[in-house]
Amino acid sequence: MKLITYLISRITLSFTAIMLIWAAIYFFLQMKEIHDGIDEGLTNLKQEFIAKADAVPGFADILKANTPPNFAIEEISEEEAAAIVENFATTGVYFPTELEKEEVRMLTTAFRCRQNGKYYRLQFFISTVESDDLIKNVLFLLLGLWVALSLTIFVVSKIIVAKANKPFYRLLDELKKFRLDNSRMIDLPPAKIREYMQLNSSVKELLEKSIRIFTEQKIFIENATHELQTPLAIVIAKLETLLEKYRNNGELMKEIAGVLTVLNRMRRLNSNLFLLSKIKNRQFTEIRSMNLRKILEAVLAEFEDVAAYRQIAVEQKGDAAPSLPISEDLAHILFTNLVKNAIVHNEQNGKISIRYAADAITISNTGNRAALALFERYRTGAGDEKSLGLGLSIAKAIADLYQIGLSYYHDGEMHVFRLSLRNAGQR
Amino acid sequence: MKILIVEDEYALLKTVEDFLLAEKYVVEKATDYYSAMEKIMLYEYDCILLDISLPGGSGLQILSEMKKENKTGNIIIISAKNSLEDKVQGLDWGADDYLTKPFHLPELHARIKAVMRRKQQNGKPTATLGNSLVDFAQRQLHVNGQLLKLNRKEFDMLAFFVINKDRLITKDALAEHVWGDSFDMADSFDFVYSQVKNLRKKLNDGSSDMAIENVYGVGYKLTI
Repeated sequence: MKLITYLISRITLSFTAIMLIWAAIYFFLQMKEIHDGIDEGLTNLKQEFIAKADAVPGFADILKANTPPNFAIEEISEEEAAAIVENFATTGVYFPTELEKEEVRMLTTAFRCRQNGKYYRLQFFISTVESDDLIKNVLFLLLGLWVALSLTIFVVSKIIVAKANKPFYRLLDELKKFRLDNSRMIDLPPAKIREYMQLNSSVKELLEKSIRIFTEQKIFIENATHELQTPLAIVIAKLETLLEKYRNNGELMKEIAGVLTVLNRMRRLNSNLFLLSKIKNRQFTEIRSMNLRKILEAVLAEFEDVAAYRQIAVEQKGDAAPSLPISEDLAHILFTNLVKNAIVHNEQNGKISIRYAADAITISNTGNRAALALFERYRTGAGDEKSLGLGLSIAKAIADLYQIGLSYYHDGEMHVFRLSLRNAGQR
Repeated sequence: MKILIVEDEYALLKTVEDFLLAEKYVVEKATDYYSAMEKIMLYEYDCILLDISLPGGSGLQILSEMKKENKTGNIIIISAKNSLEDKVQGLDWGADDYLTKPFHLPELHARIKAVMRRKQQNGKPTATLGNSLVDFAQRQLHVNGQLLKLNRKEFDMLAFFVINKDRLITKDALAEHVWGDSFDMADSFDFVYSQVKNLRKKLNDGSSDMAIENVYGVGYKLTI
């Protein structure tokens, strides 16, 4: 839900509730005021009547014979008179002229006429504002007011909120575009509202700190590689020079070559370790949508010679060519490690089977059961990275980076590494 | 052929210099940013080997200065930083190749030759050894005027050997040059051996003067 929708819906809801309560209060107060006015008039009427009836002989009886439309008089016994308590009531009376029952305010009382000592019950009534009509009017008015106010609030708050939140939304846009790796600070939108100024400065501080740490880490890793690779380069170059120099001394050459082989392994280990740490530090940020099938096919072509040498048949199944936003280099490294793994742990005259589906790629290979233990350890993630060989660890790190589900199982015949792409690429 | 080595690590500089001198190159050296800039602006070189991290500045700065001055040269960046950004940026700014430390000296030699070949204006990039002619552009081998068919990897191997004629090529260096850095399997040496054997057989069957010698099981050497 958008912030503005939330604000406006809440305002409108509470506003409606307040309006309803207020409408009820207004209605009752208004009715009370009207009744009070009418009741006062009725009381005056009564007092005037009683004064007249007491003073003029036969006044009550004449009136009784010719009652005006807003008046009723009836002779009653003393007991009945004693039982009547003067009261006001709202009731309906039929008016022949109006052809309908009208709502009236009625005063009922009893009095004893001094002229003849008889008791009479008196009823005066004055037609009052019809409460139905009043309710209707009040509701109409309030509804109109409500609509007008709601519209005003909607429009005004939309404008105000949008304007006030402009720095906020711009900041949000900038943050979405922000990438830690290009080490570029975002453009902070100018803000006049204090909270947004604070938000800006907090964001600025946080981002600058992140950029600094990220850069420091990156530089450290690169420096560490540098520091290690340079001496290695010197030693390897010097040994190769020695090989050239003592070209007639077979024994010495073999020794030197042995050292060179170890050094080369060390060099690869070193660069693989740094690769692993760079992946885990998310330093591969050049992401483009890549056709994974194309990359895997390219990797397979690179290993064609080796596979042929080992007489391993490679087959590819499925027509799918899934794509994924991924670093091209990392995709290449991922498949290289998996294919290499499938070749190394294969057997003579073995088979590698690759299956492409829209949401998964599987790389299966034949191989002895001994490898199973190794892969099982990988599958259960026993945390023994040393025994895994770096290749699979790197593959796993790359898969994790892009939310590719890399899993291993043995289907009874082949070792299967499955790359599930279902949730892949959601960073 | 005049080569400038820009490298602040003296031991490495010296080794590379000795190697290149042995290959009959004329070699000049610079160990920091300023002396490198001075030499580059004053003289012409056929190839410049450029380290990225230098005292006083970076190799990338040198590249951009050269670009400003419209100076061209065959530049190979030699860096310990196997960082993609540096690589991409370096190549963008006019470097011709990027070699990561550590490297095998024959590999460096092959890269220098390749870069020079690419810039060569007149004449075909070929090498004649005895009765054999290696055409680097067409990727073909002719023996006594007859085309001898080689597959892609076989030609890669042959070219590497030819550039480093009479020099010992270790199995490591060969495997890395032809099959790439990611190639590091336990029995890769057997594989390399079998591939060299195939190439050797083809050369032999085509009665080329070139022969690939096995050197004490350490590596190979191409001789005539």
